[in-house]
Amino acid sequence: MQPTLSVRNLTIEYATRRGKVQAIRNVSFDVKRGEALALIGESGSGKTTLGLGIVQLLPAMARITSGDIVYRRQDKTGAPPLEIAALTLKGDSLRQFRWRECAMVFQGALNAFNPVLKIADHFGDTAKAHGALNGKSLEERGKHLLNLVRLDAERVWKSYPHELSGGMRQRVLIALSLLLDPQLIILDEPTTALDILTQRNIMDVLKELRTKLDFSLIFISHDLSLAAELADRVATVYAGKIVELSDVQTIFKAPTHPYTIGLINAVPTLTGHKDDLTSIPGSPPDLVEMPSGCKFHPRCPLADEKCKTHEPEAEFAAADHQVACWQWQKARGVLKSYA
Amino acid sequence: MTATISTPSFDLLTLWDRLKSNYLLQKIAQAIFVVWFVASVTFFVVRAMPGNAVDVLIQDLTLAGVSPEDARNQASLLIGLDIDKPLPEQYGNYMLNTLRGDLGLSYKSRGLKVSELIVQVLPWTLFSVGLSLMISFTLGIALGAIMAYNHDTWIDHLLSNIAATLDAVSPYLIGLLAILLIGVTWKWISISDMRGAMSPGMQPEFSWEFITDIFMHVRVLLLVYVLSTIGSWMLQMKSTTIATLGEDYVTVARARGLPDSRIITAYVGRNATLPLFTRLAITIGFAVSGSVLLETLFTYRGVGFLLAKALSDRDYPIMQGVFLIITIAVVFANLIADFVYGWLDPRIRISGGEG
Amino acid sequence: MNFIDSLIKLLGETFKSLKLLSRNTMGFIGFVIVVGVVLLSFVGPYFWPPEQSANVDDINQGVTAKHWLGTDFQGQDNMIKVINGGRDIVMIAFITGITATTIAVIVGATSAFIGGRVDDLIMGLVNIWLTIPKFPLLAVLATVLKLNDVVTLSLLMAFLDWPGLSRQVRSQVLSLKRRDYVEAAVMLDLGTPHIIFRELLPNMMSFIAIATINTMTFAIYQQTGLVFLGIVPYSSANWGVMISAAERRGVLYNPQAMWSIIAPMGAIVIFQLGLVSFARSLDEIFNPRLRTSV
Repeated sequence: MQPTLSVRNLTIEYATRRGKVQAIRNVSFDVKRGEALALIGESGSGKTTLGLGIVQLLPAMARITSGDIVYRRQDKTGAPPLEIAALTLKGDSLRQFRWRECAMVFQGALNAFNPVLKIADHFGDTAKAHGALNGKSLEERGKHLLNLVRLDAERVWKSYPHELSGGMRQRVLIALSLLLDPQLIILDEPTTALDILTQRNIMDVLKELRTKLDFSLIFISHDLSLAAELADRVATVYAGKIVELSDVQTIFKAPTHPYTIGLINAVPTLTGHKDDLTSIPGSPPDLVEMPSGCKFHPRCPLADEKCKTHEPEAEFAAADHQVACWQWQKARGVLKSYA
Repeated sequence: MTATISTPSFDLLTLWDRLKSNYLLQKIAQAIFVVWFVASVTFFVVRAMPGNAVDVLIQDLTLAGVSPEDARNQASLLIGLDIDKPLPEQYGNYMLNTLRGDLGLSYKSRGLKVSELIVQVLPWTLFSVGLSLMISFTLGIALGAIMAYNHDTWIDHLLSNIAATLDAVSPYLIGLLAILLIGVTWKWISISDMRGAMSPGMQPEFSWEFITDIFMHVRVLLLVYVLSTIGSWMLQMKSTTIATLGEDYVTVARARGLPDSRIITAYVGRNATLPLFTRLAITIGFAVSGSVLLETLFTYRGVGFLLAKALSDRDYPIMQGVFLIITIAVVFANLIADFVYGWLDPRIRISGGEG
Repeated sequence: MNFIDSLIKLLGETFKSLKLLSRNTMGFIGFVIVVGVVLLSFVGPYFWPPEQSANVDDINQGVTAKHWLGTDFQGQDNMIKVINGGRDIVMIAFITGITATTIAVIVGATSAFIGGRVDDLIMGLVNIWLTIPKFPLLAVLATVLKLNDVVTLSLLMAFLDWPGLSRQVRSQVLSLKRRDYVEAAVMLDLGTPHIIFRELLPNMMSFIAIATINTMTFAIYQQTGLVFLGIVPYSSANWGVMISAAERRGVLYNPQAMWSIIAPMGAIVIFQLGLVSFARSLDEIFNPRLRTSV
């Protein structure tokens, strides 16, 4: 089985008033068939831009300056996959690609729906745009999906968006994303701006869906603890680059990049003392005038001369464990806390 | 088990709150109140204020040699009220009369009923103003959308400036300019063809000839109405469309792979047009206001023309009656606009405005 | 010393504003036009007093070397008439605009700030008032009340115009009320007058200025209309009077005599357009966030 998504050397630039900003710099990774990959980073790290770039929904001032993305649709029989060079798509084929092959669910579903259309119409529009089901069969499938996300299908199907709460709308959007059976779903901060209880609800729904259905998932968040629940592999993103990528166990039990270590340490544990809480000193870099060498060096306790002048490339710390740091061998085991 | 009998508490404040939450009732109540208010104000101004019209009329009549008693009787007849009765009673009679459709008799053309005069001319104004509003609204929305989709290009700049200029110049001046340019300078349409509702000698009937004649005469007036109102529609539609284009659900719609044609109409178009309905009320009032001057300019015998003539003749019963009818017409049109808006926007329709 | 300091500061601010204004060409042109018209209307008549008698030889002439804007039905020079005809119009515009906007700001801001049932009541009344067609009402009132001076007319128009404005003011204040710095001021208990005058109003200045100017253009229209209908007496030869007098004499149909309408009409249009262009550029002056550099 080949990966569902292969991203190679992707660079995305924004033109701002102060100058050019590289939000994503030479990023490469794979998403395997049926796996959930978490992209974790602070705001401004470029993780949302990455998601937008895959479906070419970047704002007008952004451009993909290099790289390519290959998406593969493959069924369980092992027959040769349908390969699509995602970044070359335009017009009608791009339209078809969106949602049918890859569905991007944005953060803040509060305003994701057309206020004058019912939920049923949203399903109808989507199906019609892709020449899929209609009429009775669409209604059945739609309601089935709504039930899958633990909503009262009968009631929600006929409702207008303003009649539903924020959490309900988020779940409807997730249900809608499953309508065309995409093989890749990108969830951007699906639980931010929701209260704790609703967050819990959504996470449970997502976990259930992953067991019942068959899709690959890119899960974008700043919240490591959510990644722990849902992800198979985790990538930490800093200043537009993936600084560490490994399976979820390794990331949490044996991280090697100082940034990842800092993130892990910042998560309060159930049994820890409050004195053990730490945060990473400093703040994310100014993307227009980035520091030289490794972009993390101003905040890193292990930074030396090489870190300040040369940006590290990704190395393999283990078979399925990449890290971009000169000090990774020292980092492992040494950094228990940043204190 | 003790049964408690709860007496429903009738509280004026809760009634107020409940009224507020039902959109339709609110609008109807407002409409009725306005009409009553206007009727009362006209009564006050014409009859009860110091130096009011009736007193002036009596003065004029006495000066002309009529005996005081006869003067008072004549005045009573014209105004449709018995002016010797106490004021509150006059008010009551006035209200009753108005409800029955009796608006008094004209001062100048004694013997002609105000209500009849109005009924004769009202359809012409409704025709010209109504038709022009429809054209202006539709064209304005279309152009506004074009401006929004071509934001910051030369088309946008050109149309925006045209719209802003049209919006700034008063309808009266547009009317003058139209006559000046179309009739005199360029001589595209003859002056006599521009004026009046129909050619002299024409009989109103349901014939093709008559209908074409009407349209021929009203086209410049229509043009002026449209030009004076379209600028505002264009600019507003442009701004609401730009705002709607930035909404999340439009981006999500594109992410869902919806075709542009669907997004432009059902996602952007409908949502951008909705706020414009609240402005429809003001525009209707504005157009009807303009009719007073424009119909005079084009000698188009509608309600505005009637009012203008009554104003210069100081013919108070007509003034009073026409003003009341104009207000009722505008209030009614607004009510319809409010209903349409309420029907179109599910957020109002379903929760009655509570969102 | 303090007075000199604040005067210098005021001059500095004005100078900065003028500099900004000059960057925005349309707005600057508008500003120049407005100032020009005002000066011409008030100072001009001293240099070019109105002609006293008719010149029968020069009736209804078009543009000539002697009369740059032609002559009217009495043979009097149109340009002189235009210079003398602006005073009433300008006065009406400013009086009505400033009065209406002031009342609207006070009522609208207070209503929005107090909120609750008071707000509902005031806005309910305003909404009702707004459905009444304004110009016919103005015409009827003007007829019945027999107005004959500029100030009374302006005040009457202001009285009819302010409710519409107050609704806009109110929605502006409502949106500002939710901004963080206002909430902070409320929490710090800085006092209602302080909040209104130091936090809210400065951020509404551009809106207020634009609203004032819109009211002014509308007042000009209303006055012209009243003159045309014969309601406001012809006692002074202002632009509106010039237009309707000419129109009544059928000047529209005579290509040369046309100038006695075009001249005053042009004056009104130019003044209105100047006001509007100036208004549209005010946004940048008052809103620092829109400035790209100073």
